[in-house]
Amino acid sequence: MRNPLADVPVPLLDDLIDDDYVRSLVVGVVGTLGTLGLLGLLFPDSVAGDLAGIVFSAGTAESTARLAAPIVLAGLGGIFAEKSGVINIGLEGLLIISAFASVYIASVIGIGNAVLGVPAIWIGFLAGIVASTLLAGVFAVVCIEFKADQIIAGLAVWLIALGLAPFMSTVFFGGVNTPNLGASVGWRYSATMVVIATAASWWTLNRTAFGKHLRASGENPKALDTVGVSVSRVRYAGVLLSGVLSGVGGSALALSIGQFVGSGETMVQGKGFIAIVAYLFGNYNPLGTLGAGVLFAGLDATQIRLQQLGYAVPDTLVQTIPYVVVIVVLALVGRTRIPAAAGDHYETEE
Amino acid sequence: MSRRDGGRLPTAARRVIEPFVDRSVAERILISVAAILLSIAVGFAIVLVSGRIAECSTAAWTMPVTGLGFCYDPFEVYAVLFNGALGYPLAIGEPGLFNPSWTPFNLSFGLTLSETTLLIFTGLSVAVAFRAGLFNIGTQGQLVVGALATALTVLALAPLLPPGPISGIALVVVGTLAGAVGGGLWGAIPGALKAYADANEVITTIMLNFVAANVAYVLVLEVFRAEGSSVVATRYVPEYAQFSPWLFPDSSDFALLALAVGVAFIGALYYLVEHTPFGYDLRTSGVQAAAAEYGGVNAKLTTVRAMTLSGALGGVGGAVWVLMSEGRWIESVPDLGFDGITVSILAGNNPLGVLPAAFLFGVLKGGALEIGFRTDVPTELVGVLRGLIILFVAMPEFFRMAGRYAGLGSSGPGGPETTADDSTGDDGSGGDGTTGDAGAATRGGEADA
Repeated sequence: MRNPLADVPVPLLDDLIDDDYVRSLVVGVVGTLGTLGLLGLLFPDSVAGDLAGIVFSAGTAESTARLAAPIVLAGLGGIFAEKSGVINIGLEGLLIISAFASVYIASVIGIGNAVLGVPAIWIGFLAGIVASTLLAGVFAVVCIEFKADQIIAGLAVWLIALGLAPFMSTVFFGGVNTPNLGASVGWRYSATMVVIATAASWWTLNRTAFGKHLRASGENPKALDTVGVSVSRVRYAGVLLSGVLSGVGGSALALSIGQFVGSGETMVQGKGFIAIVAYLFGNYNPLGTLGAGVLFAGLDATQIRLQQLGYAVPDTLVQTIPYVVVIVVLALVGRTRIPAAAGDHYETEE
Repeated sequence: MSRRDGGRLPTAARRVIEPFVDRSVAERILISVAAILLSIAVGFAIVLVSGRIAECSTAAWTMPVTGLGFCYDPFEVYAVLFNGALGYPLAIGEPGLFNPSWTPFNLSFGLTLSETTLLIFTGLSVAVAFRAGLFNIGTQGQLVVGALATALTVLALAPLLPPGPISGIALVVVGTLAGAVGGGLWGAIPGALKAYADANEVITTIMLNFVAANVAYVLVLEVFRAEGSSVVATRYVPEYAQFSPWLFPDSSDFALLALAVGVAFIGALYYLVEHTPFGYDLRTSGVQAAAAEYGGVNAKLTTVRAMTLSGALGGVGGAVWVLMSEGRWIESVPDLGFDGITVSILAGNNPLGVLPAAFLFGVLKGGALEIGFRTDVPTELVGVLRGLIILFVAMPEFFRMAGRYAGLGSSGPGGPETTADDSTGDDGSGGDGTTGDAGAATRGGEADA
């Protein structure tokens, strides 16, 4: 008998490099940066010089690493969920809940204290991951067990976290913003976690049996069922992994500052949705997601530094640059192929 | 039942429509009511848990039997929420069931109806898009843009007209139209991106929310800011160019006329969606885009039109917000667009359902203000309930399973069962047939702990 899984396409790096738009964008980004660097060197006193100074400064690199963590990690999580056939549009909610939980637990334990030899800040980090994974678990049960519409349930996850985190913050700290912990996780940790998670995700997706099951579950669940692997179980694993990875991202975001900001759209500010664009941009490839995430984070870091320089352009207008770029990128990559069975409920045939 | 036929749009469309077409209206209403009750039960648990963790000097409520003290009294929270939203028609702690001095034209009820009116427009905005298979999460941004367009138009035209009721009517009409145009154009952007570049509208609309908020803020900050204003806001539009509050107190920010306009919009939208060729195009491309295209519907154009209409409705919501509630554009725009998602989902994306759903959510919002005045519980609780309601409405299968489990359709909402539901939520142990509910409540509790 023919193995039905053999039909499942295996995305390799080629997928990414073959795409015209990615190639032109990579060339575009490298070209822009190169031109900027050259202009900066030749005319150090011009606007280009200032901009080059910002883009190539160590400070910008640090905040890029800090800001890239939530985008890349949530994006990697999104790949696992969507590859398994569950579109997780609630990544934003997972980031929010983990950002809050990490700061809350760290402050309950108290900076300077330790549990079983682990410093409070790292206990907080783990708590953020646990909170995010639990919320992802609720999402998984609702989507897989109760056949909820994935998009609407994902929106619900976002809105629940958007309500719950400021609510809890007000309960515990008397305001939607938590006080600053007075300690933080350095950007080097964020960068390390991003690199490790990207490599591990690539390995899991492309080189393990689990990765093969994930892809089959999203592309052709019936085939997976036929060979005796439970589609539900694979999908649960995919969604829970998105919770774990988003939890790492959310904790890293909040603890790199040492505070949770809950006003407006909270400190996450759409990074979960940008993460979705990042993995679409990367065509479901972890390496592509890393590239896209770093690009978006770099834009954000540059705009933050630009504000500090005090150009006549209002800060708030500069802040919109990353969002506009995300829209433009999405318009360019809109035609990515999503897994065939993503969004559909799968009924096991006994 | 794995389906491999559909492309991207049909799958997405089927997802939206399926839960709402193959089911009777009665079941739909039943599920909405059950979802609300379940959200209230989970909210109850959240209030209890956070009341246990929060710090206070005296317990607001002590649990019977166990003797555990809680900082928040969940019964009081809901009593204040629902009773307060209506202006305390029920007397609590005094002889007699009803408060003799209560009239419907009180401040609290006015605030509730004010929220209801605004939510009608944002709810319709979301509903129209969802019916066309488009997840417009951008009503918030469309409202912000529409509100600014309204404020600027009225402020620009007011000096040209002699003050008086006639020019007031003209300004309100023109201002509302400006809001519709502003919101409509803002909504057309994600519509065109979806139709011609296949860009996922969920993401683009959310990104455009950020852009709208920031751009409007900068415009007002740099160009249109009222002199001497401590907040970022435009000047007030003239009093005569605002909806005037008949019968209700001025401070309630509520005008019956605006509510009447909202109800008229509901009727018009219902007719448009159900009984016109455009409505037919809209619904068919929502259910099955490929089939609609085959049947001669221009799906791309319909997408752009639906998003424009949806944005225009959000913009009208913004116009009413300016002309009825605030009297000017101010930076702190309330979350009306996001609440519109809940209203629409609760209404089964049916324009007629928007009225009760908007009123219910208006009660929650109006009651939240009372919670803020009378209890220590943070008003953000309503934000949590908003998300929970969406989550539960999205999982009709859960209620069917619970219904089957409980026996023949006994999951129905009735007077006595309502109280039974509350009491099981209270003691935390699932009773007969509501074990599922208790399980969900526990999950909610764990997720936030």
